[in-house]
Amino acid sequence: MRSIAFVYLSKYWVRIDIKGTNLGKGSGIMPDKNYEILALTMRYWFIGLIIFVVARIILETMGTKKGQNYRNEGPFGHIIFFMVVFLISAFALLAYKGSGVYDIYTAILGLVVGISLILQYNLFRLIFPYSDRLLLIVVDLLAIFGFIMLYRFSPELGVNQIKHFAYGNLGMLFFIFFTKRIRVGRKLGYTIMMVGCILLLLPIVLGKEVYGARNWVSIMGLSFQPSEFVKIILVFVFASWFKHDGGFREHLPAFIFAAISVILVVLQKDLGAALLYFYVFLFVYYMASSDWIITTLALGAAALGSVISYRLFSHVRIRIEAWKNPWRDIENKGYQIAHSLIAISSGGLIGTGLGLGSPQVVPAFKTDFIFATLCEEFGIITGLCIIGLYAIIVLRGVTIAMRSQESYWSLLAFGATVALSMQAFTIIGGVIKMIPLTGVTMPFVSFGGSSMVSSLALIGVLEGVAITVPSLDEDMVDQTHETDGEGDYEEWID
Amino acid sequence: MDRLRQNLKKGLVVLLGAFVLLAAYYCYVLFFYGDRWFANSYNPRVRLDAWEPKVIPGDIKDRKGQTLATTAKENRRNPDTNEKQVFYYRSYSEGKQRAKSLAHVVGYNDPQFGRSGVEALQIRYLLGYNNPFYERIYQKIFMTREVGNTLYLTIDADLQQYADDILGKHKGSVVVMDFRTGEILAMVSHPTFNPNKLGEDIAGDALVSRATEGLYAPGSIFKIIVAASALENLENVLEETFDCRGTIEIGTQNISCYGGEAHGQVDLVQAMTLSCNGDFARLGVEVGRAKLLKTGEAFGFNQDFIFPDLKLVASRLPLKPGISNERLALSSIGQGEVQVTPLHMAMVASAVANRGIMMEPKIVYQVVGRNDKAQKEIEPRVYRKTMSEETSQIIHDMMKDVVTHGTGKAAGIKGKQVAGKTGTAEIMDEDSGTRNNAWFIGFVSDDKSNVSIALVLEDMSPGQTGGKAAAPLAGRILKKAVDLGY
Repeated sequence: MRSIAFVYLSKYWVRIDIKGTNLGKGSGIMPDKNYEILALTMRYWFIGLIIFVVARIILETMGTKKGQNYRNEGPFGHIIFFMVVFLISAFALLAYKGSGVYDIYTAILGLVVGISLILQYNLFRLIFPYSDRLLLIVVDLLAIFGFIMLYRFSPELGVNQIKHFAYGNLGMLFFIFFTKRIRVGRKLGYTIMMVGCILLLLPIVLGKEVYGARNWVSIMGLSFQPSEFVKIILVFVFASWFKHDGGFREHLPAFIFAAISVILVVLQKDLGAALLYFYVFLFVYYMASSDWIITTLALGAAALGSVISYRLFSHVRIRIEAWKNPWRDIENKGYQIAHSLIAISSGGLIGTGLGLGSPQVVPAFKTDFIFATLCEEFGIITGLCIIGLYAIIVLRGVTIAMRSQESYWSLLAFGATVALSMQAFTIIGGVIKMIPLTGVTMPFVSFGGSSMVSSLALIGVLEGVAITVPSLDEDMVDQTHETDGEGDYEEWID
Repeated sequence: MDRLRQNLKKGLVVLLGAFVLLAAYYCYVLFFYGDRWFANSYNPRVRLDAWEPKVIPGDIKDRKGQTLATTAKENRRNPDTNEKQVFYYRSYSEGKQRAKSLAHVVGYNDPQFGRSGVEALQIRYLLGYNNPFYERIYQKIFMTREVGNTLYLTIDADLQQYADDILGKHKGSVVVMDFRTGEILAMVSHPTFNPNKLGEDIAGDALVSRATEGLYAPGSIFKIIVAASALENLENVLEETFDCRGTIEIGTQNISCYGGEAHGQVDLVQAMTLSCNGDFARLGVEVGRAKLLKTGEAFGFNQDFIFPDLKLVASRLPLKPGISNERLALSSIGQGEVQVTPLHMAMVASAVANRGIMMEPKIVYQVVGRNDKAQKEIEPRVYRKTMSEETSQIIHDMMKDVVTHGTGKAAGIKGKQVAGKTGTAEIMDEDSGTRNNAWFIGFVSDDKSNVSIALVLEDMSPGQTGGKAAAPLAGRILKKAVDLGY
């Protein structure tokens, strides 16, 4: 019914277009006045939808009663519906951008993606009735922001990102089943450690330098960023090794693997990844062991490491200088951050309007700095909403960890939450100059296949843990033994 | 497992705390700095497009409505298309002298040279970014080119030009303020440039707005802050006397009065009137680093001035813990590492005149929209409370004495009581030996007038003290301001 209305709306637009004059295609042309008026007007519609959806998500999260089953939550249908309305109307607006011709393809694409999201959500609900659906909704909303912004930069980017999201969903499915069915014990653990090391060695051997970091590999036409995927391996390794109160010797393999991974990404000059691995290690290890000594030692090592890298690497020094005062050397060192801050402040509360900002001015606007361009075109309020959405991921992720009955799953869920949230914190904090900028992508929003797939895989881990909980609740004995996938699994007794 | 749950709760608090911090910082920084970032001259969104401007920037006028800047157009050959086309550019006050006197305040907006001054910082009004939604839609539908808003400044262009004349060929700066409201009536920096001819050779430092960006050693005018600190922190300081023998030894540092003159037995009032360095060096050490710093910060030193109307460089009072008495003594007479901007000193003088209340400096008087509808009116705001009313009254009286029979006699005007303080800061220059910064800050102490002034002349020869060189010029500018009815 609603989709018909939109098709009809599209026809109406097409009719308008036939009467209008064709100004010629080309990205160099400024948006014409009609588009400007439309985009200015629709800001209010967008901001209304965004506030409504985010407020609903926050209220639903606050309203969850303790011990309530995820299946009994909701209904959330209206939230996903209004998100899709946001997506479709944004694409309907974008179809009008650039030239006088109404680009019906864009509008249809929006419609198709919107319907697919509704389908995805409902399928997910049917297959995994005990999953945390609100978490999926948050992720979808963040992805929608990415789709709109990237499509606004260039249709090609947007379409590619939608493809990444589709692959990511497959990755998520895989990790839901993996988490639920297979426990990473010692044997599998050592195997994935090996895989992780090989993945991280690849860019050092084969890689090429992008933005000063050598963290990309291209194999058979498929280029990806191994450090993104090693994040997932780390989460599993830590959960598997730290689930017992084993003492130093027993934890040693995990320590060594953590150290090697950090060193390897530092060699790739990928400081963002190094920082992220460190956060995951620190949080998961402390949660599991309450061991102040090693935690403090790790912090000390990290402090020493940062001092050494500050002395050693000029690009680290430049980052710190640019953070301290980006305005001093605005044409070189401070360029990125200064233009990011200018972009954020150029939108005002509700933004310049979709398509009316100047994101091209901001360097790396489609990946690391997408937050700045989002703030410019959708406004400061939207930026705040996005920070809120990541906070909701934290809240729901840790809740999943706390509900879980076993420390392995708990740590797994917590590790995934830390990896996602600290990544978001690092990049948003860097973009708004709260902390020195380290180049990581903004999970679910930034352009990039590796980032999207690995982030959704981590959501898969979280959902995988979430759906184990009710089965434990209902008939504890049967299920726990069924899920025993590895030989060396030992029952954890509280 | 229970311990793990406990730890997870801690982890949740830490992670959520990080995001709360992020959100708080995001809001804070955008609220306080957002407009400045937007106004940055590197923001290409608000660049003046000479050939096809989407919005024609509005006029800038002074408080009486005299046009200081407008957008002009003429037919020129576009080098890109090689066709005759309408060329838009910013044109500043007619008359070279007037345009030059206003150059730093109004600034410039040029596709090639960027933006500065009001043209930069208030660009959102000039381009109509503050317009309500319906106004923007209306302009887009019914007008071929959108127009920005007209900006009325608090500046009085006549007073500005007069002050510029008075400053003559001297390097330096004058700021005239209304001390009750913080409105800036004139703000001149020398040397200056002609904003209508930016392509011409402009001396390296002519583009610097000395009034807001120039950091000077304050010399004796800093004694106002030391006196305020002594009055608020030491008991019976008014009754104490000091025997000035022309020079005083503090630690290994010899501090002498100007010209080595011995003032004899002086109390605080006389010390201020005669600008006795020895007494103030002693007082500064007696008050102590922490309390002097506290008073200094109450007066706005070391503060990141975040004013919506203008950018002002922070004044420096580096009194770090563990500072030696020698350096503390030097700072107390405004030498050493103390550095101030002329506008900040005008604010200090205003604070004394305004019973200790320092007002936020204002330069935007009014923003008027397309249909002569005022969109924004000036709203005076208290910046901070610098000292108690009693202290300000005592210092006010001291500053009157300075002009009636002290170092600042030359600033007096007939029929009006002027209060002020002179200052002479010695700068060691490798090429030309000792040079002076001559200062005068003060105000008209009268119920009808609300003008305060800060004037600095830099690079003066040794004999040219604040009292000799700066005070007479300041007096003439104050007289003009009074004549103009401020």
